[in-house]
Amino acid sequence: MKLGIRLGRMRMKNPTMLASGILCNGSLLKRAAVEGGAGAVVTKSLTREVREGYPTPVVVGVDCGVINAVGLANQGFASYLSEDLPLAKEGRVPVIVSVAAGRVEEFEEICVRAEEAGADAVELNLSCPHVEGHGMEVGADPAAVSRIVKDLAGVMKIPVHVKLGLSDRMIESAVAAEAAGAEAVVAINTIRAMAIDVDARRPVLTNVYGGLSGPAIHPIALRCVFELYRELSIPVIGCGGVSDWRTALDFLMAGASAVQVGSALAVRGIGIFREIEEGIRRYLVKNKFSSVKEVIGIAHGVKR
Amino acid sequence: MLPENSGRQGGGVEGALSYSDFRFRPARIKKVVAESPKVKSFYLEVREGELPRPGQFYMVWLPGHEEVPMSASDAGADFIRITVSREGETTAQFHRLRRGDSLFLRGPFGNGFSLEGKSFLLVSGGYGAAPLIFAAKEISRAGGRCTYLSGAKNRSELLFLGELRRLGVEPLVATEDGSAGHRGLVTDLVDAVLPRGKYQRVLTCGPELMMYEVVKRAVGRGIKVQASLERYMKCGFGLCGSCVLDPVGLRVCCDGPVFDGELLLKTDFGKRRREASGAGVSL
Ligand SMILES: Cc1cc2nc3c(=O)[nH]c(=O)nc-3n(C[C@H](O)[C@H](O)[C@H](O)COP(=O)(O)OP(=O)(O)OC[C@H]3O[C@@H](n4cnc5c(N)ncnc54)[C@H](O)[C@@H]3O)c2cc1C
Ligand SMILES: Cc1cc2nc3c(=O)[nH]c(=O)nc-3n(C[C@H](O)[C@H](O)[C@H](O)COP(=O)(O)O)c2cc1C
Ligand code: FES
Repeated sequence: MKLGIRLGRMRMKNPTMLASGILCNGSLLKRAAVEGGAGAVVTKSLTREVREGYPTPVVVGVDCGVINAVGLANQGFASYLSEDLPLAKEGRVPVIVSVAAGRVEEFEEICVRAEEAGADAVELNLSCPHVEGHGMEVGADPAAVSRIVKDLAGVMKIPVHVKLGLSDRMIESAVAAEAAGAEAVVAINTIRAMAIDVDARRPVLTNVYGGLSGPAIHPIALRCVFELYRELSIPVIGCGGVSDWRTALDFLMAGASAVQVGSALAVRGIGIFREIEEGIRRYLVKNKFSSVKEVIGIAHGVKR
Repeated sequence: MLPENSGRQGGGVEGALSYSDFRFRPARIKKVVAESPKVKSFYLEVREGELPRPGQFYMVWLPGHEEVPMSASDAGADFIRITVSREGETTAQFHRLRRGDSLFLRGPFGNGFSLEGKSFLLVSGGYGAAPLIFAAKEISRAGGRCTYLSGAKNRSELLFLGELRRLGVEPLVATEDGSAGHRGLVTDLVDAVLPRGKYQRVLTCGPELMMYEVVKRAVGRGIKVQASLERYMKCGFGLCGSCVLDPVGLRVCCDGPVFDGELLLKTDFGKRRREASGAGVSL
């Protein structure tokens, strides 16, 4: 059984994607595709300027996941697009360039250049929980989301995806993004959190606050996807705590057309994409489905 | 594509990992030893039975300062040792610590050297001696033979000579200023001994350009060689991609830090590395 899906205008050989900020660099994105079997890969969020990121510690484990405050570290979009994107594209799956910016013009500059450099789509990171002025506030403001997406949809030929974080206004922002021309919504980013070491008696992350990812956030992300599916007609991409085929499949059943995988790579390895694909395939065969599309949104009970 | 002795992450070679394996735990300093004017060893109290392999490393954090990777340079029933060269801000802070203070560890991470075989050539430069003294110890314990080549700027920076002799290994030394042993580079010694000895494996750790020369020479002679690499590390467990070797896409923290020479020659080893931002710089 083939697990191919369509995500708006984008075709994927299976519904698994590498999440933004994980593995990051071109050669590792290629490896996630070739060796790991990911159906698409997302770059780390690129910014206009070079960003060193925060001083270490920036990534630590907790009971049920990971907290990170990498601080949008990246070499700047120009250098990434010329040096890393070509390598990533050697993986022969869609490469989606994630973009973080403070202003509309910045988004536009980076997105247009990403398109010229051969990106298959852009993903606007409107949800970084640990860098001020670079996401979370924007994603929680439907009017701002609408402005940015409208501007980009007007100039871009490749699809514009919007990545939203957990906020009271996530649904409104997603609806605004769809109305403005977004072709998919990714939900969710990490959730603002922190870790304190009781022996050190201080916060573990240098930045104090970071974003929580991994199994701890999966039920929350699942709820977000379920709600978004009801409100949107563009595809939803589920992200948060996918650790195996079950946590990928429940996302699909909640209404996601594809899932992104991040933290689980640390415990399951790069092969997790193929494991998920195989697990879903076995499930579909066993339960006599004829394609993966049939389970998307099935938990809502009614066919859309 | 992965080296045979790939690390714990990346497919659960040693069984499943859990997220709590990536959190810090305190390790009290039992003893501090000045190894040279620039280098100190810290003997750390750790949970019983924790035995890193030679070549594995820890992410070491001093609260209030940064977290940096450090190789295990020895380990016993109730301690591990790290050997820290004062290179900048964080390592200078480490050097101020005394017995009774604590460091915070995550790990051990990475794969370690594969130590099958009977005759080894170990080539160390500077604080690259840290994982190699540990390897020498394991090799001796297992009844193997090794030749140990040690290079440093000057006599006072040569590390672990006494410890090697106690293992029955007579180190051959090279110093850049000629204050001990051969005046020149440790690679000169490699040129001298490599054709003569019947080495099954060469292990090397030190400045990257030195390792590059060692690897080229060994590969050229068809001898298996492993090098322990350094790249900028943020997570230490394979998630962030910061420590990548392009264009193969190897992560030093979990696919390494020890790699086979032949594989390394397909990468930017010896040529280019990435900084904390991910920007590439040539070596
Ligand atoms: C796998 C591995 C094992 C190592 N083992 C040892 C060891 O046994 N003994 C030892 O003395 N040193 C070891 N190092 C090097 C050690 O981590 C650096 O010297 C240390 O980070 C310097 O920090 P600093 O703040 O004192 O100096 P800085 O002035 O900040 O940096 C000096 C150098 O260290 C590098 N560095 C800084 N932070 C990091 C980081 N997070 N990850 C990687 N490199 C970094 C910088 O890029 C620079 O080249 C190891 C490095 C790696 C990657
Ligand atoms: C180390 C790390 C770096 C990340 N960097 C980014 C980033 O640059 N841009 C972004 O949109 N999300 C970033 N994320 C968030 C992930 O893409 C993802 O939304 C989140 O981790 C939840 O998925 P998971 O539970 O599968 O990890 C990062 C996550 C981690 C753990
Ligand atoms: S330090 Fe190697 S992947 Fe993060």
